[in-house]
Amino acid sequence: MLLYLILILLGLSFIIYFSQVMALRKKLKERIHENFTPPVSVIKPLKGLDDNLFDNLESFCRQNYPDYEVILSLENKNDPAYRVAEKIRNKYPDKVTIVIDNSNKALNPKIKNMMKAYRISKYDYFLISDSNVCVEHDYLRKTVSSMNEEVGLVTNLIVGTGGKSLGSILENLQLNSFIILSVCFLDKFLKMPCSIGKSMLMRKKDFEEIGGFSLVQDVLAEDYLIGKLMHEKGKKVVLSNYMIKNVNEYWSIKRFLNRHTRWAKIRWKIGGVKYFSEPLTNPVMIASIIPLFYAFSNLSLISLTLFALSVLIKTTGDYLVMKMIKQNPGKKILLSPLKDLLSGIIWFVPFLTSKVNWRGNLYLISENTILLPVMDSSLKRTYLKFKTLFSH
Amino acid sequence: MLLCDFHIHTKYSDGSLELRKVVDLFGQAGFDVIAITDHVVNGDSLIGKLAYKFRFTITENNFNEYMENLKYESKRAWEKYEMLVIPGIEISKNFLSSDNSAHILILDIKEFISACNSYEAIFLEAKKQNALVVACHPHHMKGEIRNTLYLWKNRHKYGKYIDAWEIANRDDVFNVVSLKKYPYIANSDFHKARHLYSWKTLLNCEKDKESIKTCIKHNKGVAITLFRR
Repeated sequence: MLLYLILILLGLSFIIYFSQVMALRKKLKERIHENFTPPVSVIKPLKGLDDNLFDNLESFCRQNYPDYEVILSLENKNDPAYRVAEKIRNKYPDKVTIVIDNSNKALNPKIKNMMKAYRISKYDYFLISDSNVCVEHDYLRKTVSSMNEEVGLVTNLIVGTGGKSLGSILENLQLNSFIILSVCFLDKFLKMPCSIGKSMLMRKKDFEEIGGFSLVQDVLAEDYLIGKLMHEKGKKVVLSNYMIKNVNEYWSIKRFLNRHTRWAKIRWKIGGVKYFSEPLTNPVMIASIIPLFYAFSNLSLISLTLFALSVLIKTTGDYLVMKMIKQNPGKKILLSPLKDLLSGIIWFVPFLTSKVNWRGNLYLISENTILLPVMDSSLKRTYLKFKTLFSH
Repeated sequence: MLLCDFHIHTKYSDGSLELRKVVDLFGQAGFDVIAITDHVVNGDSLIGKLAYKFRFTITENNFNEYMENLKYESKRAWEKYEMLVIPGIEISKNFLSSDNSAHILILDIKEFISACNSYEAIFLEAKKQNALVVACHPHHMKGEIRNTLYLWKNRHKYGKYIDAWEIANRDDVFNVVSLKKYPYIANSDFHKARHLYSWKTLLNCEKDKESIKTCIKHNKGVAITLFRR
């Protein structure tokens, strides 16, 4: 009975997986017309060193676009990213402005970082872009082209590139399969507004009408909330099929786990009960239940064969997905099952803790990802005092 | 101030990354000055012979190729990142006893120097080439089975040849160097990408080789910093 139930879930899981692949195919077939080029302010919040930071920032200064500015915003000059920002400004003095500001009280560090940059930005259209993305020369032209009077927000697909360590290989496999497929599925088939914080283009007028930064300054998933509010206001949220590169080269496993547990907690806090359907997008995780129950029974051979077959189909599927998005995973694709099993385990984490660590800041997240600062508990302080005492 | 790291290894010896990738890693992180210092190991000891067998050393045969590639990468680093790349080597005199072992950075090297030469011969040759001599990891390091203590134990004899001492190497800090008030610098002893985040030197001088060497020798405008992500 249990085996049949697992097999039904596995079948359903593969149906959803291949529907997601279909959604990606449809998304990639969309055409982009390049005839709208208003001046744009690109705001890039920086905190700490991202892999490939210099090239990431430089790629924004080399856009084939008539009129735009790039504002690099940081909390303080001691940030290691400041040196890189300075070098970029020296290289492109006409395009780049550096803003240092730490006066805002926002709990979301990205929003806190951007508020002054937004205030001094010159143009009516502004684009929020994360520091860990790298783009081609036609990025602005193609992204802005998706904007019109009916559209309130344009966001982009992301692909992970550059994996040189195990953590970054897993990160890129996850971005190039689960994340990109889920986003396309929500956009194409469920018609849900998907906004990805790594690249969000908006009109200042629309943004201020939904409440601006003050409305999202204390939430973790500001991108989701902005997209949702735009949608509720009657403006379209467009997912452009122009792919931006998220360069991840030397990530540790810990960093990979940290990012995806954080994102899982966000999805749990936003989605609620819908979060329980997520394992259905992970056939490898479901297939792994079969040997877990039957590996030592008389069905051991069948259970292991089913698991191996599921892994083979999913890995081949992931490989083809990566080819569709012009990524060549090579032998790294062999780590795809490991990535799926790890993301299966990560799925449980939001039920255990609501604490998140984001670029060195520790928070507690509540409903709709509202942030609460985490204080050291008195118990922890006492423990540390004793530890210090005895270490001397 | 210039953010500097003067102790970096590549695949030319026992580093895990190619020279080009190392240059890009530091350039992308906003560094102003780096020195590539691959090992030149003494072949007259058991450890040295193993280093030769596994090609963890620059030899007289591939030194010119090493310098040519450094020259090329140096030009690229300057044009792209405005980062100065100084050619160097790490003379590695390895013996079974820590007390007999020593590692010496020769910065701004021009000609090959053999690690089998005597200490005096190495120092004099470095001076002849107008290179900077740095005693690296001169004291006990945490977690290391073998240390390189020879120069510290013989500092009265060799101190006059040494332009600076490493006061910090990756995660270790050698307070003995500060207690003696010797000229100091701090480096990563970079072998893997994660070593980027370690002790570094800050220099208050112009971004050219001569100013940098003078600044270190005179020990004016030198600071150290623990570089973090």
